[in-house]
Amino acid sequence: MAVPQGSGWRISVDTGGTFTDVVVADERGHFTIGKALTTPSRIFEGLRAALATAAAALGLTVADVLAHTAILIYGTTRATNAIVTGEVAKTAYLTSAGFPDVLVLREGGKFDPHGFSKPYPPPYIPRRHTFEITERIDAGGGIYLPLDEDQAERTLLSIKARGFEACAVSLLWSIANPVHELRLGEMIERILPGVPYTLAHALNPILREYRRASSAAIDASIKPLMQAHLRDMQADLRHAGYSGEILVSTTIGGCLDIDSVVARPIHTVRSGPAMGPVAGRRYAEFEHQQESVLVVDTGGTTFDVSLIREGKITITQETWLGEQFTGHMLGISAVDARSVGAGGGSIGWIDTAGLLRVGPRSAGANPGPACYQLGGQEPTVTDAALVLGYIDPHYFLGGRMQLDIAAARAALKTIADPLQISVEAAAYSIFAVSNETMINAIKDITVSEGVDPSEAVIVAGGGAAGLGIMPIARELNCRTVIIPRTASVLSACGMQFSDIQVEHSASMPTRSTTFDRTTVNEALAAIDSHLDSFAARLGARGFNARQTAYRVDAHYAAQVWDISVELPGARLESAADVAQLVQSFHANHRRIFSVDDPASPIEFLNWTGRLSIALPQPLASAPVAPMAPSAPRHIGLRSALFDLDDRREARVYRGEEIQPGAVIEGPAIIEEATTTLVLPPGTRATLSPAGSFVAEFLPR
Amino acid sequence: MKTEFSSPTPTPPHAEALSPMLLAVLANRFDGVVREMTNTMLRTGRSAVINSARDFSCGITTADNELFATAEGLPAHTYGLNLQTATMCAYHDDIAEGDAYLHNDPYSGNSHPADHTLLVPVFWEGEHVFTVCAKAHQADIGNSLPTTYHAAAKDIYEEGALIFPAVRVQRGFETNQDIIRMCQRRIRVPDYWYGDFLAMLGSVRTGERRIRDIFQKYGTATIKRFVVQWFDYSEQRMRLAIAALPAATIERENFHDPIPPFRTVQIPVRVKLTIDPVAGQVEIDLTNNIDCMDNGLNLSEACSISNSVAGVYNCLPSDIPRNGGSYRCISMKLREGAAIGIPSFPHSCSVATTNVSERLLNNVQAALAELGEGFGLAEGGIGMGAGMSVISGTDARHADHPYVNQLIIGGNGGPGSPYCDGWITYGIPVVAGLMYRDSIEISELSYPVHYQTIKLTQNSMGAGRNRGAPGTLMTYGPSNHPMTVVFAADGQQNPARGVRGGGDGNVGRIDLIDETGAETQMPNVGQVELKKGQWLRGLDTAGGGYGDPLEREPSRVREDVLERFICVAHARDVYGVVLNGAADEETLAIDDTATMAVRLAMRSARGSVRSGGALPADV
Repeated sequence: MAVPQGSGWRISVDTGGTFTDVVVADERGHFTIGKALTTPSRIFEGLRAALATAAAALGLTVADVLAHTAILIYGTTRATNAIVTGEVAKTAYLTSAGFPDVLVLREGGKFDPHGFSKPYPPPYIPRRHTFEITERIDAGGGIYLPLDEDQAERTLLSIKARGFEACAVSLLWSIANPVHELRLGEMIERILPGVPYTLAHALNPILREYRRASSAAIDASIKPLMQAHLRDMQADLRHAGYSGEILVSTTIGGCLDIDSVVARPIHTVRSGPAMGPVAGRRYAEFEHQQESVLVVDTGGTTFDVSLIREGKITITQETWLGEQFTGHMLGISAVDARSVGAGGGSIGWIDTAGLLRVGPRSAGANPGPACYQLGGQEPTVTDAALVLGYIDPHYFLGGRMQLDIAAARAALKTIADPLQISVEAAAYSIFAVSNETMINAIKDITVSEGVDPSEAVIVAGGGAAGLGIMPIARELNCRTVIIPRTASVLSACGMQFSDIQVEHSASMPTRSTTFDRTTVNEALAAIDSHLDSFAARLGARGFNARQTAYRVDAHYAAQVWDISVELPGARLESAADVAQLVQSFHANHRRIFSVDDPASPIEFLNWTGRLSIALPQPLASAPVAPMAPSAPRHIGLRSALFDLDDRREARVYRGEEIQPGAVIEGPAIIEEATTTLVLPPGTRATLSPAGSFVAEFLPR
Repeated sequence: MKTEFSSPTPTPPHAEALSPMLLAVLANRFDGVVREMTNTMLRTGRSAVINSARDFSCGITTADNELFATAEGLPAHTYGLNLQTATMCAYHDDIAEGDAYLHNDPYSGNSHPADHTLLVPVFWEGEHVFTVCAKAHQADIGNSLPTTYHAAAKDIYEEGALIFPAVRVQRGFETNQDIIRMCQRRIRVPDYWYGDFLAMLGSVRTGERRIRDIFQKYGTATIKRFVVQWFDYSEQRMRLAIAALPAATIERENFHDPIPPFRTVQIPVRVKLTIDPVAGQVEIDLTNNIDCMDNGLNLSEACSISNSVAGVYNCLPSDIPRNGGSYRCISMKLREGAAIGIPSFPHSCSVATTNVSERLLNNVQAALAELGEGFGLAEGGIGMGAGMSVISGTDARHADHPYVNQLIIGGNGGPGSPYCDGWITYGIPVVAGLMYRDSIEISELSYPVHYQTIKLTQNSMGAGRNRGAPGTLMTYGPSNHPMTVVFAADGQQNPARGVRGGGDGNVGRIDLIDETGAETQMPNVGQVELKKGQWLRGLDTAGGGYGDPLEREPSRVREDVLERFICVAHARDVYGVVLNGAADEETLAIDDTATMAVRLAMRSARGSVRSGGALPADV
């Protein structure tokens, strides 16, 4: 085909652990997907290969595609993987004297009250890399103990002598008065020139020393690595002839320019899961779904769930890398995407007293489910789905992988025999129990946000999304489920819909009873000036469609956990504005916890401004495709089990043969190259003009 | 004498047994109900003891008062909700939908008076089917002193708590405001209390709705069948776990420190365990304990049972459901009028949930270690020292507004186990690491307190093949007006003991440091008023070690030196590991030859001391 001239195409890239996904959007908003194996030694190779498959589908070369692209958004798991595997810089952690164990002690808490078989998890930076600095700022911001510069100098010289590669500085109450952190920053630049460092108050000026220290430690530890990685990527892209803008996707579901990310690489951590809800929100909008949206992403080993309420993606300050309590807290704002260990690889087993359990152990991709015949012997959810008739053994991944149903049955027999049930019943039982884990994960996020799942729609992404989502939705009383045909590349799609976003915070505690409007407005002005300098830099490059929203974290006096409340405007101009803020807090508290306490003072803590700069959107509204109601032809029938004793002949459809407007009633199975949608009896799906299957329950 | 859970009644196989799938699904659903109750409470609790220390539990009992589901409740709360619901049923013959009952009576099933409990009977089709319960430690309960742990109280009258023996606070979903006003008059921080009351109410009413949803979907017959099968399953898990233990009868004694002037001699804690693997039964006999004391440290019946049972659960696979089914495998022998047993009115149980309970729990798990290698646990660090004290006063920053709050800023180290070293943020045995720690900054912002140091101690842990975790050292004082600090600690005399050759943890200590720097040691139990410029320094205790320190891998000893948990001299003197070089990762190296020689010498020196079987026979 002819290359359209002068167009602003957009490429998004999601480099995962196994696959690199690429989505190319033309100026009409048409998506072309490319997929290739990730090449860890040089990420660009995998990117190029994925781009080549997309280009081939368009009848173009990689160079053609790059030449007509204005914006490339790069998403990477590099930082996350480095943290998980501990392959980060040798980082010195500087803390206030007397408080060396902030990273060790974390915030306490533990699962499993009677469990004593797991060791206490080591801190993110070992104690032997922790250095106490003689100084102390007090809670009011006063200098309680001046910085001992001689001691600091000696400490930094020893850090230099021992070959540290990065420094994280997080002192108590640096958010109230950063003078000591700033001075240490100057000293690091003098004594350790070229060694990257992070000052906690500058990176993440929030209350709570553990969170601030943890974010500073993580950020500093990945600076050398991510700076090199992103610069290499930039050089490779330029070398390949790309001259457009390069943006990097971030953990709040936005994207940032490379310079910003190089300065604060922590913002790339867990950016992949953050993009699922960005895509989910847009897919729900395309279907004119205004309610709360639950976005689920089902992979082989993890199930991620996130929530969109009133068009806003739920954000949290409490993202853990690894398990809650025992991992490391990211500390910065992040899309609240909660992961549970459940997926196609989850293993079914029977405990000592005969109870059927599924997970948390997973066969993963290697050895994988028994039906992969890669050495796995234990029955997994994928084996169950195969035996239930949901998956065609000859059309898995579009036929690229043959599955062995006999091996799946043999594995399931190890469950069926002791329970004295049939192999089919064992398969359905594993499937149903596995769905329970996901139901719980969804309930947890909706409960903690005060949302009734029955008033939400579900957007299901990930390769395994379509297998169990309808029974899960039925259990949660959700009426509508949206399964985009691009479900398997949800994160890369999310990047296509993302904006440039940056946040800045200030800690300025004040109580509703003695509200200090002047100081709060000064803090908001300081946030604005920080965001303005960022916006000015990008404005010079043509990104001008900016807007800023403000919020504050607050709690009732003596409560410990905060909730976020949006500010009525950029400043609190009057007592009426404060009163409105107070009312918003009570209302939010009532929504989330079903109680409020209007007589209680409210403590406002951290103030945040979020600057969004809209990118030219390839898809301002739902793409228009010809639509005519039709009943597509099925390619055959397959016997499938939809309950313990409910076997039906399900019609099987090929996704690529279905036209927008087509209506398919369950029992049916719709097979796409990278995903499968199972429609149980009593359900119906319509392919929308936007390219999503919109599934609903028929009235009984 | 009284025996609990006496007659296990195995249920015969039922023709209409639920499918394995439905059994697993329903188990998950009820677990989900308790999770939702717990999350509701955690997020809405007003006082730090709830939303930070997680000193609360939610649970479900059956209508005939067997504990049914507890989820991740505190070990100290694992048992007892059923005693409270039994009291509710005994005291009221007109229980109806829309009722809620307030219970905190330690003489009729509660742990201690500070644990206010709300009980809501759940009805379906006119039948009382379950009771949902939320129990939460309150910031204040109107005691005669501003503490919820009144160690000095010679009886309930001196203690001064308002006692609610299953008092109806709601009828027809309407709250009896008389009771609210009574509490608000008497309780020092009425707004915190009322906030926590609302949190509990939100939690139990949520639980009620969710249980009704389950009945709606599955029907009464299926749920009743499920209850029977779930108890049987839980019992079976427990029996199999006990069957894996050696048969034995073990008597063990440990001691709570004296708490002069209220008691000038130690408090012995005695347990006798009989393990019958063939019957799958453990008997815990507490009858040989002393009579009730004229102080606040007596255990309630709930605490006597709960902490004994928790000691057993700590040593078994941790996913065994803790409910009426698995409890069938444990029988308790308790004595009326015993300090550890069934308290006689009006002896005070104000401090029942912590001090002596900690010793009891430790005693049971350490006794099980005598079964042999791989069984039991060491003792965990004990005592709510300076870092878990109750501070009170007025805050000059907020117009002298009064405050009272329990700090959760320090803590003791966990016990060594057969599998690993102790858990660092363990706290005390009865919370076993579940509680959250206060943020230093949030604490300094919320209360007029200033911390000088909070850090883990070195060389303090009970050594062992798996060592205990270190305790915390902290120093703090008021940042403006004087501050009263009330503490009810333990462990200044008797440390957490090691087992199977493991060493003991350090003893605890609390010191007052005045303006001149002069130090005065404080007793375990007491109170002090600190003026600005005066400081309280607390040394918490470390956990005991499990197994012989000479069997600890030298590489792990080196790692402990690098991580500054121990010093080079300690590595040599206690672990027999000789290290060369400076204590940094660049140069520190194990001298294998010297280590072998030192360990050999230490073993043979010990042989002469330890002959006569100080170690159990199977070692």
